Amino acid sequence: MTMAQLITDTATALTAIRQQDLPQLQQPQDWQSKYRLLMQLGKKLPPIPEKMRQNEWLVKGCESRAWLLHYYDSRTEQHFFVLDSDARIVKGLLAIMLCFVNGLTRQEISTLDLQRSFDSLNLKPYLSQSRGNGLNAMVNRIKDVVAAH
Amino acid sequence: MSVFDAAAFRQQFPFFREQPAWIYLDNAATTHKPQVVIDSLVQFYQHDNSNVHRGTHQLSQQATSQFEEARRTVQQFINAAEPAEIVFTSGTTAAFNQLAFGLMHTVLQAGDRILISALEHHANIVPWQLHCQRHGVIIDVIPLTVDRQLDQAAYQTLLDSKPKIVSLTQVSNALGNVLPLAQMLSDAKAAGAMTIVDGAQGIAWQRPDVQKLPADFYCFSAHKLYGPTGIGVLYGKRAYLERLTPLQGGGEMIEHVSFSGSRFNSLPARLEAGTPHIAGALGLAQAIKFISGFDAQQINSYKGLLLKAFHNGLQHIPGIQLLSSRHDNAGIVTLNIQGEHPADVAALLNEQHIAVRAGSHCAMPLFEQLAAPGALRFAFAPYNQLTEVEQCLAALAQAVEILTV
Repeated sequence: MTMAQLITDTATALTAIRQQDLPQLQQPQDWQSKYRLLMQLGKKLPPIPEKMRQNEWLVKGCESRAWLLHYYDSRTEQHFFVLDSDARIVKGLLAIMLCFVNGLTRQEISTLDLQRSFDSLNLKPYLSQSRGNGLNAMVNRIKDVVAAH
Repeated sequence: MSVFDAAAFRQQFPFFREQPAWIYLDNAATTHKPQVVIDSLVQFYQHDNSNVHRGTHQLSQQATSQFEEARRTVQQFINAAEPAEIVFTSGTTAAFNQLAFGLMHTVLQAGDRILISALEHHANIVPWQLHCQRHGVIIDVIPLTVDRQLDQAAYQTLLDSKPKIVSLTQVSNALGNVLPLAQMLSDAKAAGAMTIVDGAQGIAWQRPDVQKLPADFYCFSAHKLYGPTGIGVLYGKRAYLERLTPLQGGGEMIEHVSFSGSRFNSLPARLEAGTPHIAGALGLAQAIKFISGFDAQQINSYKGLLLKAFHNGLQHIPGIQLLSSRHDNAGIVTLNIQGEHPADVAALLNEQHIAVRAGSHCAMPLFEQLAAPGALRFAFAPYNQLTEVEQCLAALAQAVEILTV
């Protein structure tokens, strides 16, 4: 698995999640179904192979571990990401976040209101303190990575 | 002898009436408080509030007398030789910080060794590290065997290197193991070591008799024994407490202060700087009186029943990896679901109002040795019910089903 493949597979997965899963998430349903959906959309993201899970890509601040890979297309000025986590709920939440972030320019990312996007999906009850912190840590990492370009 | 009346025991805890939806299995983190303990805190603040010691007015004298009576209650509970051997601290962690600081120079010199075990909570690791590194004292660790018990053969070998201190937990907070302390501490004493016991988890399992147990120090927290948070005990045999340099200065702990130096007060005041947690001490005394009203053996048999039912039920859930031991266990079941992260399982249990803990349980070195990213911990108390065990098993099965669809 190369970086280019991971980027492509992630983009494809995110398109599917945006079209199929996000509308479903907005439907009222019991907690079991909501979590099942969260697990399933997490599973759609390609896993980052063990050897690419370098410490420098590790994002701290999560009760579980998460990794973030980044690719910048200088021609289009778009930022692309690949994400993984060893916990399924976190991975599902990160996948949703990535739906809003992937492929944006630096300018677009800096003005993004992720909190609002998450609220619109009624995901608040699923963001415990520690998972919320983990998500914030990931958002901060993305902003740092993007700012460095 | 009558059998343990679990329902009557549970009735004493108002939390369960207030939060009927919850199944609380995080008892190794903290236990709930019976009404008598809560009442004692309210009673003190509402009717008796006054600072202890130094007071000439009657209110202060009454508060002092209640506070010192609480000390005697603790003394009798663990069978210390005298009340002065009971030092109130803010908890077990504070007790260990006092010990690690207080034993440097007076007992531990550069090149000396201390011995702890692979099962220790961070409270019995980090305070030693803080001081040992600076003073050139070496920390050795008793390893685990493949079946996650302490390696007793390795322990004997490590004793040959003549540690000055052997500091062990009574019960592992992460795995529930009850250590064979009587034997291990006797061996430590025979090897010339000073002995310390972390009783944080053990105090609710087996009340120590500190005159029989060859422990020179024994520490515990009230809040894991149905008492308030913020209060705990550092017990030490007088001769050993005398050797501790006070970690904190000020308040009642001094006899005379001048700018050229201060003379310390006698025990236990010498080690109790500042205004103590008076209400907490009274609450602890109430908790001790409360638990003393039940037969400890019966309580432990009942916990054994809960544990057995839980273990039996676990056999029907796919992918369970049991880390804790089924035997010599004080009521803690630690496990993982194969291929699943403990945080995910705990989140799904939380949705079903089951309070458990996921993580490395303040024992990171242990989990490094177990090569696990952490684990789920189900810690039972005598107010838990068999029906709760069943509900918890059903919830766990559902969590596994959701995760693995």
